[in-house]
Amino acid sequence: MKNNSTTAAPSSPAGRTTGAGRLLITVYGIFAISATARAGYQIATHFTDAPVAYLLSAFAAVVYIAATVSLAKPGQKWAIAAAVAICIELVGVLVVGSLSLFDQQAFPHATVWSMFGRGYGFIPLLLPIIGLWWLYRHRERANR
Amino acid sequence: MTIDGWFIASIVVGMASTIICFVAAVMKKKPNDLTLISLAVVEIFIIVYAVASLIRVLAGANINGEPWEFWGYILTAALLPVGGFYWAMTERTFWSNYVMGAVGVTVVVMMARMAQIWYGVSTAAQPLQLGIGS
Repeated sequence: MKNNSTTAAPSSPAGRTTGAGRLLITVYGIFAISATARAGYQIATHFTDAPVAYLLSAFAAVVYIAATVSLAKPGQKWAIAAAVAICIELVGVLVVGSLSLFDQQAFPHATVWSMFGRGYGFIPLLLPIIGLWWLYRHRERANR
Repeated sequence: MTIDGWFIASIVVGMASTIICFVAAVMKKKPNDLTLISLAVVEIFIIVYAVASLIRVLAGANINGEPWEFWGYILTAALLPVGGFYWAMTERTFWSNYVMGAVGVTVVVMMARMAQIWYGVSTAAQPLQLGIGS
């Protein structure tokens, strides 16, 4: 790591927003777009069918957008924001995934997170785990 | 879902691009003519599909699902290779090939959904089921 503290700029540790990080941002971006489009479509066309499920879709979309943006921005504050967004995402996929599995009456209408994201190749389940691991690998040094 | 020639063509074009880009990335190559052309072919395919779909609709074909949802998918799919190209070129490493490779497979998934809309198999509440023909 050649990034020394002599560079006064409040830069993030080298690498969080570069290299493989850009691929992670890409995948998050794709999910942000698809979740937003899906939620927008559901709410615009038949919101009254299942308001809870579709509001959940909208919430998921917001979380994906927040995660995408904060992953792409350099700096520690954005890293924390990304960690928060991804933790919410992980809780969301685990809770909604479990509920859709054990209490199917609660979620008759599909969301991105239903069945742990089976409809999307389980990527919604893997993505937050990879994201948190990535943030951990590129965390800011505690000493400053 | 109904599998038509367009969807098969998208699998060939999209997966070819993804495989070419991923192989190049595994070989630690930066984006080169081959991977960029494969991405361009994906873009050209979507444009051709959009024009052909427009002609089919004007000729009297009926989109069973919501037409604006179908065209929304086409527009988004057409923007994906452009966005992928931009994102890949702003930092040109072998990771850029993974970024570009993500475009092809995403377009195939979107084409599957477009086929569902076109032939009207799905309802909106039905999840997109990858690998499970329904």
